[in-house]
Amino acid sequence: MKHVVEITLFLDIVVFFCVYAIVTLSLNFEQGYAGLFNLGLYFPVLAGALIVAYLPGRLAMMIFSIDSKLDFVADNAVVLNLLKARLASDPLTSIFLLIVTLVAVVGICSLLGYISAHPALKLSEDYLALFMLSLAESLRVIGMQTDWLAGGVMGITIVNPFWWLGSYAYYGSALLVVGSTVFVWFIYHRLCTSPLGRALKSVRENKLTAECVGKDVSALKKKVLAFSFALLGLGGALHALNTGAVVAEGYSRVDFSFWPWLMMIVGGTGNNLGVLVGTFSLVMMRRVMIYSKHYFTFLPFDVVWLEPILLAVMLGLTLVFKPSGILPEKPPKLDQYMQKVLRKRLYPKEQPSELLAS
Amino acid sequence: MKNWNSSTIGDERRMLPIPVVITVIVSSFLLSILAMGFTLQYITLSVPNLAYATIAFASTYISLTVALMGLSPYISAPFAFILGGLISLLLYRFMAYLRDRGATVVGLMISTLVFDLTIYGATNIYAGYIAYFFKTYTYSFSLSQFDFNFGVVPGILIVSTLASVTLVLIFHALLVKTKFGIAMRAVMENYSLASTQGIDTERVLSVAWFFVGGVAGISGSLYPLWFYMDPWVGTRTFISIFAGCVVGGLRSIYGSLLGGFVIGTSEILITYAFANVFGGWVWAYRAVTPMIIAVLALIMMPDGIAGYLSRARPR
Repeated sequence: MKHVVEITLFLDIVVFFCVYAIVTLSLNFEQGYAGLFNLGLYFPVLAGALIVAYLPGRLAMMIFSIDSKLDFVADNAVVLNLLKARLASDPLTSIFLLIVTLVAVVGICSLLGYISAHPALKLSEDYLALFMLSLAESLRVIGMQTDWLAGGVMGITIVNPFWWLGSYAYYGSALLVVGSTVFVWFIYHRLCTSPLGRALKSVRENKLTAECVGKDVSALKKKVLAFSFALLGLGGALHALNTGAVVAEGYSRVDFSFWPWLMMIVGGTGNNLGVLVGTFSLVMMRRVMIYSKHYFTFLPFDVVWLEPILLAVMLGLTLVFKPSGILPEKPPKLDQYMQKVLRKRLYPKEQPSELLAS
Repeated sequence: MKNWNSSTIGDERRMLPIPVVITVIVSSFLLSILAMGFTLQYITLSVPNLAYATIAFASTYISLTVALMGLSPYISAPFAFILGGLISLLLYRFMAYLRDRGATVVGLMISTLVFDLTIYGATNIYAGYIAYFFKTYTYSFSLSQFDFNFGVVPGILIVSTLASVTLVLIFHALLVKTKFGIAMRAVMENYSLASTQGIDTERVLSVAWFFVGGVAGISGSLYPLWFYMDPWVGTRTFISIFAGCVVGGLRSIYGSLLGGFVIGTSEILITYAFANVFGGWVWAYRAVTPMIIAVLALIMMPDGIAGYLSRARPR
């Protein structure tokens, strides 16, 4: 029994780290590589969670022809019991629901990113951040007030596509989160080390110069927003699937925007490995804070409000003493790169191994 | 006493209840002041202050404390001015310190978050503490029952209008008629050039930030006399302030004053109109209306009202 608790605790930390890793890697792609100042990260994260709250439950009700008089939100507990009985013995439908949901999340969030880029990119860097923040807060208000979407203020319990694993359902969803994070890290790593990554850095450093050498800056930024929104939405969806419930109010600016910013700054903006280090350090710190909360019950206020203050203090200290983070961005090795390009131009017939030897 | 809830302006068919009219007026005046202050701080450092709304609404709890002590909430205005001013000044000094160390715009904006989060946490702690101390619920409150009535008109209507007009006039006179105002305009126009001309730029900006923060504090302290407040109101109202600046024109002080007024008016009236057509549930989405207006303004009129007026002005 003790081992089960320990494993669950360990998985809880791992899942928490993975969800935040997806969010901070996406933020790093936007800010660290493309120079897009987005403070409304929780917009796609919340959108992803809301889709998970809305879609699979209704879809499963249609597939299993559940009584149409029952409403997924109003009769949440009854409907979920009926669905659990069916899905527990039907892994194929469960996996189908999961795939359809994740594809919908990625598609819709990507579209949201592309659409919001149109008015947003008319703004300067600083006002873009405010625009995104306001957009995210608007969606949160919609999520909190729209009962049919995700239960409004009270939230709803959602379909678990791993019910067929029985008592191992939590491990299934945890494995999905870990696998997705590895996949997301791989995609970002490939993108950031590709010519696209270098093009984005050139846009970040000097937009005018990038335009002069033929880069379509506006199109690049739209693509970056669309792509990162898709993966941020995936992060929100995975978080919702793992917690098993969606409460729109829980996707706040502090939890899903400011904490990821702190993680990125502490780790090192523009360095994916640094971002992971920052995420891990702060996830551990937050978990310790959550587990040690009961030691402060003597205070005449809810100790949870010390968390934003602690976040602020850490942010302030990082800005003052370590603004470039634990693992700062590596400067590009231009001399080696130029040598390689020149040699290729001068000796085009030489094989790569010969180039290396020379 | 007249029953406000059943009164209307205009004939009965058009039905514009007096509480809605009062809400429009109070909201418009206070929001225009907040939008103007936000733009002024933005122009001075070219960095939007994300903590602005939180600083403004921190003072609502001074009003609540004063009311719980049995005094008129209006007494809190000078304390709110000092609190807002001091926090704002402290924030400016922190940002100036980071700026001198070579921080980027992103770094400076993040530094405003430091204050936003601290005030957010501290406000919630304070709300919890006075709830414990006064044995009352403080996470959602309105102080309208503590307001005075001038005949049949609620005091807040007169006070918010007078306060807003007076503050704008003082600010305008300060900016146009005094040496300090000229120095401030010079600093806003070109910081480096102003400092080479012998202007004490740090002092000028410190005073400007203190003044703007203080005015925001007064606005925040007046809000609970008509609206329901909670520690999260700053986050929600930030959308309206931002929308006001976008509609008014991002770099125009007087434009944002107008923009704030437009947003304050349209936020209530548009929501009211939609609620009349579609039902009362629309009121729950009131906070989203300013964002929709801001997006439309960005698409159709990216320079805002100020840009439109400057183009329309005969040359």
